[in-house]
Amino acid sequence: MHISRRKILAASGAVGVAALIPLRASKAAGDVLRIGAPLPLTGALSPEGTKLRQGYEVWLEAVNKAGGIKAGSSTLKVELVFNDYQSNTPKAVQLAEKLVVDDKVDFLFSPFGSGAAKAASAVAEKHGVPMLASSASSAEVFDQGYKNLFGLYTDNSTLSEPLADLVAQRLPAVRRVAILARNDLYPLSLAGEFEKSAKKRGLEVVYFEKYAIGALDHSAALAQMRAAKPDWIVVTGYINDLILARKQMGDLALSASVVTMINGPAYQEWIDAVGPLAENITTASWFHPVLRYRSEDIFGSTERFVELFKARHGSEPDFTQASGAAVGVILQQAVERAGSADRAAVRAELAKGGFKTFFGPISFGPSGMANSYVPPAYQIQDGKVRVLLPDEVRTSDFRAGVK
Amino acid sequence: MIAQILANGLLLGGLYAAIAAGFSLVWGVLNIINLLHGSFIVLGAYGAFFLHTAAGVSPFAAAPAVGALMFPLAYALQTMVINRVVDRPVLITLTLTFGLNLILNNLMLLAFKADYRKVVLDPPLGILDLGAIVLPVDRLVATACSLLLVLALWSLLRLTRIGRAIVAVRMDRDAAALMGIDVRATYALTFALAASLAAAAGCLLAPLFPISPVASATYLGKAFVICVLGGLGSVPGVVVGGFALGVMESLGALSLGPEHAGTLAFLLLLLLLLVRPSGLLGRRGFD
Repeated sequence: MHISRRKILAASGAVGVAALIPLRASKAAGDVLRIGAPLPLTGALSPEGTKLRQGYEVWLEAVNKAGGIKAGSSTLKVELVFNDYQSNTPKAVQLAEKLVVDDKVDFLFSPFGSGAAKAASAVAEKHGVPMLASSASSAEVFDQGYKNLFGLYTDNSTLSEPLADLVAQRLPAVRRVAILARNDLYPLSLAGEFEKSAKKRGLEVVYFEKYAIGALDHSAALAQMRAAKPDWIVVTGYINDLILARKQMGDLALSASVVTMINGPAYQEWIDAVGPLAENITTASWFHPVLRYRSEDIFGSTERFVELFKARHGSEPDFTQASGAAVGVILQQAVERAGSADRAAVRAELAKGGFKTFFGPISFGPSGMANSYVPPAYQIQDGKVRVLLPDEVRTSDFRAGVK
Repeated sequence: MIAQILANGLLLGGLYAAIAAGFSLVWGVLNIINLLHGSFIVLGAYGAFFLHTAAGVSPFAAAPAVGALMFPLAYALQTMVINRVVDRPVLITLTLTFGLNLILNNLMLLAFKADYRKVVLDPPLGILDLGAIVLPVDRLVATACSLLLVLALWSLLRLTRIGRAIVAVRMDRDAAALMGIDVRATYALTFALAASLAAAAGCLLAPLFPISPVASATYLGKAFVICVLGGLGSVPGVVVGGFALGVMESLGALSLGPEHAGTLAFLLLLLLLLVRPSGLLGRRGFD
């Protein structure tokens, strides 16, 4: 079959144009609140992009089923305008611009992760469009003095501090800390926070090393760690790294009073993959379906949100999926309080904070980063995720000793 | 601690040998850089995982069965698809296996999702505590099985008519054809044999490493390095290359820190390419 160059060019042009067309057709504005959401639906970040979208959709469906958002005397139906930025940050910025200028959205949800959120926040600031960042945990994203950027996640240090407090209070004999971090932006920054938190409490960091992305073997690092005789072991990375690291700790009979691993153990997938070795591992995460917050949002409680999410997507939400719905409920409450979709009024309400959501109580600090809640700390006990902290959502008491 | 780290490196090296054996065979005989290799390993690991979950079959016992299941699939793939371009320049076959790998990998993502899984042996095989060194028994068994697999391949190539045919095709395809060897069938057989080895290796890895379609690229990368290190198409070379990589990675992690586990290995690889480009045991045109 002969395919001419012209046909190929025409086809690729069509694909290019298609990528720029919003996945939902736009409607005329009026009694509709339009939110722009650039998402990495294809490319390396597509799993995360898909998860965020699932979160948005659960919120969207709940809101529109209830008639829409009450803003003063009118009720606004919500429309989300998605765009696929193909996991390409410059493209996310372009599409954010397009969403504001061409699609005339009222508000923005940020692209995924810290880097893309920071890049797109310049567009939001330029046009004065409030943007909610669903998945940025690095303080550097919020250091530009922007007035339109609001981040759902608290700083990485809020993951390390409560756990360090817990260890210091409950196990005063713990003195020696060993940290192994994936050599990658977020895991490394998190490991740095654990190091600071440990030193702040007078603990001695006897081992701090990084491992390469894609490492297939941690045995040399763990053998060195074992020789350092740590009481508290912290390993940061992603789920695959932490499955392997935990397995190899078992292989080397490496035990400690406390073993903390982030991010992985809060997922059932991790618990299933490591089996009995999951026991007593501590972790922390901004959200988990076992939380039991009562909320003033459209869902009413964490439980109800989890129920609706399961009904729609067939599985429990993880923290990325929950984050998508959380930025939705925050924006909804801000619009309701402002009594209109006026950007300045909504921005002022966002800045005031005090949103009781299924995700947790949300207020933003002066930089725009959430500072109102402590991400819960968890421990795997009897194969289940239990909440240790904060006290208001605690389901179990801390257990020391990991073999 | 040095003894422990050397032991870890050797255990890892034995596994590396099984990861690379099939890749080396296909590269050596068919002159194809088979980018599907990593996905074959992952597919084998899934085979072991599902057999273990559904029927409680040990992944070590599952290895021959899963390998045998892979044989006809790979044979058909080679006969129907790859044989059509096997004589073309290496870039064509590379592109073909790249495309086939994308398809297989995405099919696995659709079928199994990207969730990480692992075979959890119940009861666990435990550890062998020798005082100065601790050896995990599951890894010990996997390494032993892995070396057995490589030994079986070596015996097959040395001692059987089929094996001699494969070696003959590798040495001189035209002369082999003149001697009455069906070159195309030999290609298909070699490819199927390599895929079976990869799947069996995947079974051995299933209780040790997280299983996910996205892991295939890592295995492929290791296989590539081991082949270059040990010598292309040489079965003993795969064993030497595997052990060399395993030990060097461990020593690299010890001396330069875990983030540079691969640095020492790659530095030595560069040096080797300069002084002995055919690899440690590689000899042109001979198995």
